[in-house]
Amino acid sequence: MPLDTSTYALALLRLDGRRWNELRRIHAQISTQAAADGSSYLEMGNTQVICTVTGPAEGRNTGAGRSGGKEGEANLEVEIGFAGFSGVDRKRRGKGDKRTAEMAHTLSTAFSSLILMHLYPHSTISIHINILSQDGSILAACINAATLALVDAGVPMTDYLVACTAASSPTTSTSAGSDDVSDPLLDLNAMEEQELPFLTLATVGGGEKITVLVMETRVRVERIEGMLAVGIEGCKRVKDILDGVVRGFGV
Amino acid sequence: MPRAAEISVNEREFILQGLKENIRLDGRPFDAFRSLELNFGDEHGVADVQLGKTRVIARVSAEVTAPFVDRKFDGIFNISTEFSPMASPAFEIGRPTEAENILSRILEKAIRRSGALDTESLCIIAGLKCFSLRADLHVLDHDGGLIDASCIAVIAALQHFRRPDVAVEGENATIFSIREREPIPLSILHHPICVTFSYYNAGGIMLVDANLAEEQVREGEVVITMNRHGEVCQIAKYGGVSVDALALLNCTSVALEKVKDITKFIQRRLEEDAKKRDVGGLIAELSAENAR
Amino acid sequence: MTSAQTIVLPGDTIAPNALPTSANPNKPLTLGPGLRHIPPQTITTTIAGALSTDSKKNAAWIEYNSGRYTPSTSDLVIATVTNSVSEAYSCTLTPYTPTVTLPHLAFESATRKTRPQLANHALVYARVVSASRDTAPEITCIDPSTGKSEGLGPLKGGMVFPISMGMARRLLSGRKGGVNVLEGLSERLAFEVAVGRNGMLWVDGGNVRTTLAVGRAVQEVDTEALGDKGQSKVVDRVLRGL
Repeated sequence: MPLDTSTYALALLRLDGRRWNELRRIHAQISTQAAADGSSYLEMGNTQVICTVTGPAEGRNTGAGRSGGKEGEANLEVEIGFAGFSGVDRKRRGKGDKRTAEMAHTLSTAFSSLILMHLYPHSTISIHINILSQDGSILAACINAATLALVDAGVPMTDYLVACTAASSPTTSTSAGSDDVSDPLLDLNAMEEQELPFLTLATVGGGEKITVLVMETRVRVERIEGMLAVGIEGCKRVKDILDGVVRGFGV
Repeated sequence: MPRAAEISVNEREFILQGLKENIRLDGRPFDAFRSLELNFGDEHGVADVQLGKTRVIARVSAEVTAPFVDRKFDGIFNISTEFSPMASPAFEIGRPTEAENILSRILEKAIRRSGALDTESLCIIAGLKCFSLRADLHVLDHDGGLIDASCIAVIAALQHFRRPDVAVEGENATIFSIREREPIPLSILHHPICVTFSYYNAGGIMLVDANLAEEQVREGEVVITMNRHGEVCQIAKYGGVSVDALALLNCTSVALEKVKDITKFIQRRLEEDAKKRDVGGLIAELSAENAR
Repeated sequence: MTSAQTIVLPGDTIAPNALPTSANPNKPLTLGPGLRHIPPQTITTTIAGALSTDSKKNAAWIEYNSGRYTPSTSDLVIATVTNSVSEAYSCTLTPYTPTVTLPHLAFESATRKTRPQLANHALVYARVVSASRDTAPEITCIDPSTGKSEGLGPLKGGMVFPISMGMARRLLSGRKGGVNVLEGLSERLAFEVAVGRNGMLWVDGGNVRTTLAVGRAVQEVDTEALGDKGQSKVVDRVLRGL
């Protein structure tokens, strides 16, 4: 699906009218599901994600020594489901889908290092995520929603894990005229993800340190620095927004 | 089945203490790969990679099928992985572990999505016939660094593989067997190679190509796939300890060095193999035909 | 005493003159692992290895290098604690095998109140007390006759190196085993070792460099199957390297 990005060079506005360093509208709520121990609903532009957290509780598969995770630590289960109507065309994604499994693995390893797992030996914390609408930055939306739901569930964590995407588009500055110079973009939608090399990164508490970094498209090594810089800046802003959501709920 | 024995406290502390004193268990420098060996099978498209004690075999095979309806001009290319119980009693056939899923995802992203293979060149007649290429990866011995070794094996096997020649006349395609016509190498656009970095000591220590014991002790890892032209094909850091952005950028430059070395090594082994095949091989057979 | 080694393969019949001849004709012939008696007189082998005989005890057995360790009574082993159940620690000797039990009170001067607290994945040097095919093997860290530890107990620090079963047996059999690399190294280095029949060698040299040097030297002797000369070469090289 080739996308006409030529207008970007002229007006410096992206397809949806944003500038290069603008996030889409982030709207989030917590404590949305009564049945879960913690839950959240998050919109990043047209990407909509709902997340529930159950636990820490005794795991379902309580075989010999299988209820907890590592020795003396809790086990973190992550399940991600794509709603049939979430994409442009109705496509069912089975349980065995490796891309979904990879996303779930990312979330579980990222949050395992953040949650104080040693406080809950022999127990399981499960995160269920449902993607209601897909419009880019899905992994980032899942991470942000999971953070909110974990905060809502009262699971002790060292800090927030916040994520966003960053891309690198061909340069607009006419002076340089070489391929090495590129313009970074923040928070991509689905159309931009199809077209541009992008990465998803997550930082702890909106700091400088990167916990998750996933990139799936080929890009010159020189461009990565710019993408990382913009991504980290974006994560800081996402952190402030999520912080506001949690504080707003507390009032 | 009883679970794998986890590494003991003594070993864990010893390895970490060693790393703090700049010593690795096998005496390697921090940024060195284990000894890499690459051998090719008698058939085209079989590569056997040994990275220290880790051993993987990749085999590429091709058959003719109809292309996917939505991709009429492209051939089909699949990578399938199998962890055999030969490598470790922890692996069971038909029940993929998380590690296996991640390995096949990373290979998929590194080689297939990055467009290493020109799938359009596998098309014979648009919409009707194409080559379906399949790379089977078998893990025979597991001592860490599976992703790096697997990627080298698949890339080497693809470069070594020869597909049968075809002639197209209108709607008819003739596939020539190896005896009739010299088979053709695949058109490979770039050669992605994976390098795994492991982090210790809250991200302060970074190791290249950790072995199994070091993998069990690590706090986080990042897999960087690059080609020798300095393009990053894939980065995967699924969590673990947080790392400074600058340290990650530093990783990419270390990875580039390693990728250049490994690509050169694969190239050298391919040339050696070609030389070996040339003597009394297919070329001699062809020349005998010409004399008649 | 082991005589010159005879290599046997499974199914070989042992010639009567290869069996030990006891001075006392009433003493029955004892057959150890790997030998099978087919009445009336035939003795055949079931595994490949070297035939060993002891004329004093009137015994014959096969020395062999197997892949996996199977516990047998009075073997010295290095066990890894996996968890603690009510009265005992459960430990593993080799990966992917069922656990063995180590009672909480099987330590020197241990009482219900003063038993040693072992963390998960700690290492202990122990002796196999019972190993039958119907129950989980039991190991202990005391000599049952004296109640003393006799060098057994938790291993602190150091590092374990995997070695082959045959190497572990040779190391434990002292001079007969023909391994002198440790003696050679000990002339210049100070270190502690513990050898487990389950194919583990624990070394503590006080610092990383010494420990690694000793462990790798033994592993090299093991994998390269070095003789006396080769071993002294390894010793020389290691000592020069430090």
